[in-house]
Amino acid sequence: MADASLAYRYPLAPFYDVVMTPPSPAPSSLRTLKDRIATGLITAAGIGVLLAILAIGVFLVWETLPLLTHFDTLSLEKLSPLAWGTLKAAIAALVLAVPVALGAAIFSALFMTDRLRARIKPSLELMEAVPGVVIGFVAGLVLAPWVERHLASTLALLLWLPLSAGLAGILWHLAPKALRRALSLESAGLWLLPWIAATAALVLWAAPILEQQWLGSDLATFLDRRFGIDYTTRNTLIVGLAMGFAIIPSVYSLAEDALYDIPKPLMEGAQALGASRWQALWKVALPMAGPGIFSAVMIGAGRAVGETMIVLMASSNAALMSASPFEGLRSFSAAIAIELPEAPPDSQTYHLLILAALVLFLFTFLVNTLAEVVRQRLRRRYQRLGGA
Amino acid sequence: MSRTSHRRRWPGDALWAWLCAGCVALSLFMLATLLTLLTVKGLGHFWPATLEELTLRSGEQMIGQPLREAPMPTGSATERLYFTGNRELTGADWRWVGVDEIVSAATPADVIRLERSPWGDFIGRLIALELDGERLTGDSAFDRISQLLALPPSERSGELVLLSPSGRGLVQPLSGVNTFVAPNALSIGEKTAIWGQGVWRFLSEGPRAANTGGGVWPAIFGTLLMVILMSVIVTPFGVLAAVYLNEIAHQNRLTRLVRIGVRNLAGVPSIVYGVFGLGVFVYGVGGSLDQWFFDDALPSPTFGTGGLLWASLTLALLTLPVVIVATEEGLARIPDAQREGAVALGATRLEMLTRIVLPMATPAMLTGVILAVARAAGEVAPLMLVGVAKLAPQMPLDAEFPYLHLERKFMHLGYHLFDSAFHGDDVEAAIPLVYATALLLVLIVLVLNLTAIFLRHYLRRQRGES
Repeated sequence: MADASLAYRYPLAPFYDVVMTPPSPAPSSLRTLKDRIATGLITAAGIGVLLAILAIGVFLVWETLPLLTHFDTLSLEKLSPLAWGTLKAAIAALVLAVPVALGAAIFSALFMTDRLRARIKPSLELMEAVPGVVIGFVAGLVLAPWVERHLASTLALLLWLPLSAGLAGILWHLAPKALRRALSLESAGLWLLPWIAATAALVLWAAPILEQQWLGSDLATFLDRRFGIDYTTRNTLIVGLAMGFAIIPSVYSLAEDALYDIPKPLMEGAQALGASRWQALWKVALPMAGPGIFSAVMIGAGRAVGETMIVLMASSNAALMSASPFEGLRSFSAAIAIELPEAPPDSQTYHLLILAALVLFLFTFLVNTLAEVVRQRLRRRYQRLGGA
Repeated sequence: MSRTSHRRRWPGDALWAWLCAGCVALSLFMLATLLTLLTVKGLGHFWPATLEELTLRSGEQMIGQPLREAPMPTGSATERLYFTGNRELTGADWRWVGVDEIVSAATPADVIRLERSPWGDFIGRLIALELDGERLTGDSAFDRISQLLALPPSERSGELVLLSPSGRGLVQPLSGVNTFVAPNALSIGEKTAIWGQGVWRFLSEGPRAANTGGGVWPAIFGTLLMVILMSVIVTPFGVLAAVYLNEIAHQNRLTRLVRIGVRNLAGVPSIVYGVFGLGVFVYGVGGSLDQWFFDDALPSPTFGTGGLLWASLTLALLTLPVVIVATEEGLARIPDAQREGAVALGATRLEMLTRIVLPMATPAMLTGVILAVARAAGEVAPLMLVGVAKLAPQMPLDAEFPYLHLERKFMHLGYHLFDSAFHGDDVEAAIPLVYATALLLVLIVLVLNLTAIFLRHYLRRQRGES
């Protein structure tokens, strides 16, 4: 059949045999055998690896099954503070990290020159490489005692940072033209660094003085005396700050990709029709890249829920059901890390902790899948619109 | 264009851009602060600090290294923390002194600092060196001591006659002395040399005195060995799985789903892998191995407890998605024409893979393995479940048959950091070394990541030009 079609397409084909050797000799049986075996091995290994990955889910479900026979209220009582702690830590981290990450993403995707962006983006993504145990150590042993002594300064700093950036903008608009050209908005991400350091130092200097004048004591004592709010050294605020630092890079990186890949003609068209950059961002860029930003936040949430060392080291690990940001918490992951090595296999605690691991697994897996699907759709939409 | 429009719509419209710029600056600021903190504290610890001799208002004399100041709990006065050493004489290594209690402070050149075991540091003065009935003083004693300290501890003879700041004499055998410096008499060059020696000892020695002294060599070694074992496991399997997914499997809906699934596994919390490792490798496989081969040692487990092998396997599983994703990216970038050309010239699929496709994808694989190693080096949570130890008495690699002891527990930099920072007896004394460990860990991980970034960048440029 093949020969016949060849003869039809190349009428002279039979003569090649005479004139020259055929360009591709038929594979010898040994080579075919080798190929068959190798293909089989690769297939086996590939499927084996995929099965091993699947085994994680199967194992977790299998080990949780014994709980079905005697799941009592006691188990629920043990798990609910952990679930709350996990949620609380993740929410604290997201509240602190998402605005910063999205702001940074918007700036580097829409304002920076490509040259600068090529430097800044990898540096920010390197933040992700800092191991959790190092962040946890700095948060638990350096940041936490400092914040305890300077609670008012910390809160003032959190409020002041956005204000100081705005103030920089106002001053910039009032500045003479030469200065404005030297310090362009495009490179503001860099030259605002010393400005932030300087104004932060100013707040750190002023806050204790104001605190003494207005409250007569430091804020932690004041809160305790006036409102009866306890302050634990390693608390949710610290966890939020530390884990916020850890998830900023992943949220930033994905959101920045989504914003940067918006087809350029869309933004240019909007601005050509008279929209300001703000309007172009709000009416065109954000709705376009919305799904991408959503998936970035989801990935951040997945990371925050599962992070172990930071929560373990930066929180008091007391299983509490309180909403106060100044009290500690204990998350699923920290509970697993602390209790599982001690729990004998086949005990109730062992199965409960594996249930906690299953919850973490399912949650992160679902969230990531959702994010990935959304991201792929977005990529297809951009391609349809003729973008990158 | 933007400048004029900014001015016209001033002020509300332009402000948000500044907020976003502030976010970039803030992120960079935090990263820079963290790295600076670790560098300064981590490397500063090894610098021979100046010792101050104080005369207090009560007439008492003391010598110490000033560390930091803090306001007194009551009133506006401040107090200063000194490291004074001499634990066996004063009962503590640290002392808070009110700043207004200090009558005079000086930095005499003859003050010395010893690091010894047991009892930690001694700070005071040297009276003489007693050696074979001889009594050396002054410079000749200093020279002789530095000669003797170069010998291993067991071969040293002689005793130091010391004078504590409060005027008590004591005798210290040279065999228990680790370092001997007179920091106030040193020039900058000598201090740098001592600093270098300190850094080297940190990298090359084992921990001493409950992690408050010595170095982290066993932890570096354990981390390295585990990471190497892990790469040996993860590289072939990761590459094979990627080749299967990209080159052999039919590209249909199922393959796409599997691909998304693998990608998402990279986002599953590491502790979940630890739970899997504990349940399946340690209790499951390890427990069975014990019953079959090591039942004479039961009930004390051999493989049925955490160890090097299980830790490497767990981390290999954890980093598998990283290698698969990176390799697949590399494979997908190879133009189909290359594959078709090879097959058209008569190569079998195996020959096409090994001679054309895999060599072209090698840099991508390497990137994946480097990223996997970087991730594994920084990961601590799963190791806490499957085999890390706070202080491993035996190295997992030694001269005893079978040389590589896969069942032994091992030390790991990240866990060492966690343990000495949170579970030590004297956390204050351990903190400087914890900073140094943290710096080392961050440096290792950052260098690995940078290598991967440059490799990938180089790869893209090469592809783009050709």
